[in-house]
Amino acid sequence: MLPTIFYIGLSVLLFVIGVCGVLLRRSTLMVFMSIELMLNSANLALVTFANQRQSIDAQIMVFFVITIAAAEVAVGLALLVMIFMRKQTTNIDTMTTLKG
Amino acid sequence: MTQISWLIALIPAFPLAGFLLNVFLVRGERANGTVASLSIVAAFITTVIAVINLAGMAAESRFIAITLWDWLAVGRVTVSFGLWFDPLTAVMALLITGVGALIHIYSITYMHGDSRPGRYFAYMNLFVFAMLILVMSDNLFLLFLGWEGVGLCSFLLIGHWFDRKHVAPGIVPSEAATKAFVVNRVGDAGLLLAMMAIVSHFGTLSFFGSDGFSGFVSQLTDASFTTISLGAFGNVGLVSGIAFLIILGVVGKSAQLPLFVWLPDAMAGPTPVSALIHAATMVTAGVYLIVRTHAVFDLAPDASGWVVIIGATTALIGATAAITQFDIKRVLAYSTISQLGFMIAAAGMGAYTAAIFHLLTHGLFKALLFLGSGAIIHGMHNIQDMRRMGGLRKHMPVIFLVYIVGALALSGIFPLAGFWSKDEIIAHAWYGAQNINVTVILLLSSLLTAFYMGRQVALTFAGEVRDKDAHPHEDLGSMKWPLYILAVASVLGGLMNLPGVHWLNDWLNPVLHQEAELFTLSMGIFAAVTVLLATGSGYLGYRIYSGPIGARITPGDEDPAHYYLGDIWKGFEMGWGLDYVYQRIFVKPYRTLSLFLHDVFDQQAIDGILVEGSAEMVGRFSQAVARIQNGNVRTYALVFLIGVVVLVGYVVIGA
Repeated sequence: MLPTIFYIGLSVLLFVIGVCGVLLRRSTLMVFMSIELMLNSANLALVTFANQRQSIDAQIMVFFVITIAAAEVAVGLALLVMIFMRKQTTNIDTMTTLKG
Repeated sequence: MTQISWLIALIPAFPLAGFLLNVFLVRGERANGTVASLSIVAAFITTVIAVINLAGMAAESRFIAITLWDWLAVGRVTVSFGLWFDPLTAVMALLITGVGALIHIYSITYMHGDSRPGRYFAYMNLFVFAMLILVMSDNLFLLFLGWEGVGLCSFLLIGHWFDRKHVAPGIVPSEAATKAFVVNRVGDAGLLLAMMAIVSHFGTLSFFGSDGFSGFVSQLTDASFTTISLGAFGNVGLVSGIAFLIILGVVGKSAQLPLFVWLPDAMAGPTPVSALIHAATMVTAGVYLIVRTHAVFDLAPDASGWVVIIGATTALIGATAAITQFDIKRVLAYSTISQLGFMIAAAGMGAYTAAIFHLLTHGLFKALLFLGSGAIIHGMHNIQDMRRMGGLRKHMPVIFLVYIVGALALSGIFPLAGFWSKDEIIAHAWYGAQNINVTVILLLSSLLTAFYMGRQVALTFAGEVRDKDAHPHEDLGSMKWPLYILAVASVLGGLMNLPGVHWLNDWLNPVLHQEAELFTLSMGIFAAVTVLLATGSGYLGYRIYSGPIGARITPGDEDPAHYYLGDIWKGFEMGWGLDYVYQRIFVKPYRTLSLFLHDVFDQQAIDGILVEGSAEMVGRFSQAVARIQNGNVRTYALVFLIGVVVLVGYVVIGA
């Protein structure tokens, strides 16, 4: 078993990649995938800490998170399809109707 | 409460009911006029029955106190909604309801075709109600309610034609109404202060209390040496202080020097309103107040001295102003000021009976003159300028007849009503007060009175119609009987208090405790001389203005006398320039200040900086903030990230 810090380091790396993906990519699909990446980096951190504390609770909680994330992906992809059907593009910068 | 108490409470209840009916239920010109007139007639009949009842009581216990309910109870002071009916109230109530009823009946024809008859008749009823409350209240507080009530009603009725720009040159109804109200407020402040002084020293505002002895009047003698400190201004006797404050109220309401300026403009209202203001209600309130609180003035000779000076000066100013006017109602308005000066002077000299006597007779013939002039204006289709009249004797024979009666009565020609009452005042100045200055001033005013009435009759009725476009006609309708009745009353009014008979004096004796003056031969000669002088003066006025000089006057001309007297005449015409002075001292600076505050403070500071400035600031701030909301999801995400980093950083590092 590697020391905890390596897992956390990987988790942070994944999270930062996710953040950069959300902020920098134009394709909505890629943004969506980046969000999933951040979610899973958080999952990884959670499982790591649980392992360190020899607790089983968080391990179970992660399954719930993955399950719900799957559901969320279904909804998100459905939305994405609808957006593409309407705008013929998935460029996130064209979605600017939510402004004051 | 006894039967007569109910009866007395009914007297003001009728006009109030008429007012409420006209406001809420009755619609239609005919119905409005009928309801209003009936309510006042009912009040008059009730008053007559009450007076007959009162006359049946023993002379010294001729008062009826009715406490309807306790109105205010503050600490040790209780003000009741109490009515008081004694001989003085009785004669006032008779005048108010009697003349008031005639004016209401007259109004039915006069106001025919008016756009707001309901409003008009409702306020007329309220006017009579307020005046009845004023004369029937048993305490100063309720009196003040009536006092303010007549002020309010005068405002409402003078401004009845508030949508008309002018009814006569320079007179705008809405402005005249405001002027009357504001000038009255000045006087009201004095009365209010007098009430405060009385309540703080005597603990009651009731004149006589419910038993006739427990009011502040009976405590006055004990307080005659009390002084109150005015700080840097030294001390002043309590009683004379109260008296001076009451005088301030009186000069406002009764249109005396220096606050008479509102009355000449008050003719902007419909003519019956003028009649009501000048004869039955409103301006007589001041005289009534002095007579009602005569105990105060008896103990304050210095204040009484000022009352005489004010009254006599006003009598002269009013008379000199009246001889110069060309507006038929304005002559009468200044004449009222002058006659009120007579009453006030009489009251100041302690001749309270004479003051009330002249108040009553004046109420009769001034109502007659105003209603007559109203009939003339009606028949001339709203022409008020006497320069455009003339020759109306042929066109309006009935009005001519009653107007002559009113003019003779006002001029003090034997044996009409005005002669007896005015002569009693002048005789009292000479024999009673033995004040030669006042006698001369009053005598002079009396001669001028005859002169301006002669002038008015000549300008109005003599010769030919000067305005060829006018179509004078006489169509009296319901105006006829009030004129007849008032004409008869103006002839016979003097019977109230003939020398040697003096019914009025005996009637008022329980209140005023004044013995009738003995009638001597020298008084008779004195009276004869004054009548001869007045007759001569009146004839002179008639001759000058009915002759070739009068015939030459055309609309827009100056009076011929202006040629000889120049600026003096002009000064008379302007009411001795008091309006001009007020305009300069009060109105102009106030207007300048208001304009300054409006332009600089309101427009720039309040509107510019506070109102528009704050709006502008919010607007600009919003625009700046709105730029952040560009709808770009990735920007939102970045802001969100920064926020989370800052918050988490704060929690982690701060903890």
